[in-house]
Amino acid sequence: MAKIKIHVEYEGGWSDATLPLLCLDTGCWRSERPVVNKDTCTYCGLCALFCPTQCMIDKEEYFLPNLDYCKGCGICSRECPREAIAMVPEAEFCDDNEA
Amino acid sequence: MTVKAKKRNKVFDYFKAEDPFSGGLTLCPGCPLELLLRFTAKVLGKEIVFVGTPSCSATVLYGQNRQSWHKLAYYSCLMTGVASSATGITRYYRKIGKDITVVAFTGDGCSADIGFQPLSGAAERNENFIYITYDNEGYMNTGIQKSSTTPIGARTSTTPVGEARRGNPNPGKNVPFLMAMHKIPYAATATLSHLDDLAKKLIKAKEKKKEGLAYLHVFSPCPTGWGFESDMSIAVCRMAVQTHYFPLWEAERGRFRFTHKTTRPKPLTDFLEMVRKFNHLSTEEIALLVKEAEERYSLVEGMTQLWPMA
Amino acid sequence: MITRHKEKIRTLTGNAAAAYGAMLCRPDVIALYPITPQSEVIEQLASFSADGLLDAEMVEVEGENSAINIVTSASIAGGRVFTATSSWGLAFMYDGMLQASGFRAPVVMVNVNREMPGILAVSSGQQDMTSTRDSGWIQVVAENCQEILDLVVMAYRLAEDHDVQLPVMVNYDGFYLSYLAEGVNLPSQEEVHAFLAPLKDQPPRPVLVPGEPLGSGTHGILEGFVELRFKHSTALERSKAKFDEIDALFRESFGRSYGGQIEEYRTNDAEVVLMVSGSAAGTAKAVVDSLRNKGAKVGVVKLRMFRPFPRERIVRALTGKKAIGIVDRSVSFGWNCGPLFMELKAISEEIGTVPIMDFIDGLANTDITEDHIADMIKSVQNAAKGEPFKDVTWVSLEE
Repeated sequence: MAKIKIHVEYEGGWSDATLPLLCLDTGCWRSERPVVNKDTCTYCGLCALFCPTQCMIDKEEYFLPNLDYCKGCGICSRECPREAIAMVPEAEFCDDNEA
Repeated sequence: MTVKAKKRNKVFDYFKAEDPFSGGLTLCPGCPLELLLRFTAKVLGKEIVFVGTPSCSATVLYGQNRQSWHKLAYYSCLMTGVASSATGITRYYRKIGKDITVVAFTGDGCSADIGFQPLSGAAERNENFIYITYDNEGYMNTGIQKSSTTPIGARTSTTPVGEARRGNPNPGKNVPFLMAMHKIPYAATATLSHLDDLAKKLIKAKEKKKEGLAYLHVFSPCPTGWGFESDMSIAVCRMAVQTHYFPLWEAERGRFRFTHKTTRPKPLTDFLEMVRKFNHLSTEEIALLVKEAEERYSLVEGMTQLWPMA
Repeated sequence: MITRHKEKIRTLTGNAAAAYGAMLCRPDVIALYPITPQSEVIEQLASFSADGLLDAEMVEVEGENSAINIVTSASIAGGRVFTATSSWGLAFMYDGMLQASGFRAPVVMVNVNREMPGILAVSSGQQDMTSTRDSGWIQVVAENCQEILDLVVMAYRLAEDHDVQLPVMVNYDGFYLSYLAEGVNLPSQEEVHAFLAPLKDQPPRPVLVPGEPLGSGTHGILEGFVELRFKHSTALERSKAKFDEIDALFRESFGRSYGGQIEEYRTNDAEVVLMVSGSAAGTAKAVVDSLRNKGAKVGVVKLRMFRPFPRERIVRALTGKKAIGIVDRSVSFGWNCGPLFMELKAISEEIGTVPIMDFIDGLANTDITEDHIADMIKSVQNAAKGEPFKDVTWVSLEE
């Protein structure tokens, strides 16, 4: 008789992290992306430490942003002690297959 | 040619666990709170229980229907109930003989205002949990309204600047100092530009909470609410420390010490210029801010001499 | 009434009886904050703790809002909990109360009925209870000190039942019962353990565990929210029959039964019935006895469960009666009557179109005397005869 289909397992409001985590496509937020100069980079990792989204990937000699989640805030670029990261407008990459 | 230093910064060694949060979170680009959340979880490990409240952090601490933004256990409640809910969970586990790490995680609106009474009560009773305040000097999630840590003169949506009013008329509460005066086992200030200091304090808080309340007050500026570019967040934190606006100290049962000293502090105007919420201030109004910042710094300095940490 | 040989009879105030009831159920976490006329409850519990009779985490909180949040979160973490309050304290707890019921935490709380703020009154009245009727809690009311103790024990059995999982508030009149000392049968610890033991055989409820992926208090959106609300509402419905069931189980274990959701006192052949709740029910029963001796066909329905509203039982009890009176110890603002009267009117079609009369009495320690009750019953009897009647009478006000 009830129109509501009960698909919540518990009586109370519990969330279950064994289900897929909620995730936003924050990569599409940015208007510019960090570009790392691998030669200038000294692998200190400050970009990875200061990155709010913690999306810098450790490549064992340098770091690269995970573009799925990078919001383009620019902190990595500003904090890099070697100025090894440049913030480049997304428009420069729109001809690439994968943005 | 510069020789490559292939070693990563030592702060990486503090990470005990993977980032339990999802990759794409609903926080502004450049938000220091996002860094604090992920950093705290990585340093403290995956057995922590977050207790959160409606705020900027709630958007990622709370689940949505059945799904969650992170893998940790959490308890959500109202601003009035954070310190007390953290107490209830801790006390029950204590009753059954388990030492668990509950991390109450709120903004300054909760700690300084609506949740201050329960926080003070929990401190007085010396409850065994960690309470972290991220201080962005206002109620940011609801639209940049004034809270009682908003500094004097600051422009907020409830203390706007116009012909008749000139921003916040009051200097605000010195919450970390108030908490230290409860003589809890551990009270400290930290910020996101000094990550080694922050990590050490998180780890110390986890240890100290076995004796009673461990309180961390983290300076966490808001690019959206304060008016600065998203890439300046860490720089603003750093400047706050370097101008003595936000000194880094810790206190054990009221015994103080600085954990970071800036030998030649920069003028406060260097900090104020970085942030648009202050750009309407007259010389006299700036002087009021300078006076408040100097008083707060000298207060801590005095305590390090009056009640020094052993 | 069978008295178990293991039980002792002690002279206990209502507050002490509540404390004994809680102590016997062995809560894990208790929040203590004083407010007249409840303070003795927590003092007695603190005394038990100091004497080593109660091994619970005692939290001497700094305010009732913290009290309710502490017990709710401890309950969600898996603990059995207890706290007590009244009036202003209940009001201060309100946001936490909504959390307790919305989160489906089996909290047990004693509320000693006192006039709600608005007019400063340190005196008895049910305004605090009725003001929180939409909080989603189960609310029950006691008539005497024995029932207070028994209701606290039954409250745990009800709240923690797997089919229910709702917080329960045990109400009793401040001043009339809180400080009244009566002889109370004190059950033994073994008997209470045995009575609550079946809960352990039920499927466990979800609890908050560090390192586990369950998080409590997810943000309900759209249909997710609607489902949770629906589940809450239907759980309240289920708790009615469950309360009757537990009353029967209580009789088996302790030899005392109260009738479940309502007690029907001499109502079978009654033509006129007065509905009462709380300590005034005792007075009403005494008046009914003396009227019966004179041949009047009158009866009392004692309302024991206020929330959820015992609709079906009341309809069965009142159908066929010629007129009904209801005693309200509180006021429903905006309807110019008492809340219980409103709720009876809502089911008047099912009862039958007979006169229903509201008597607002007993506010702020104005005694509901035998004379008051006798006058009320007289008015109802007159209405039953077809005489014109007033819907709502404020008993202590002059016409």
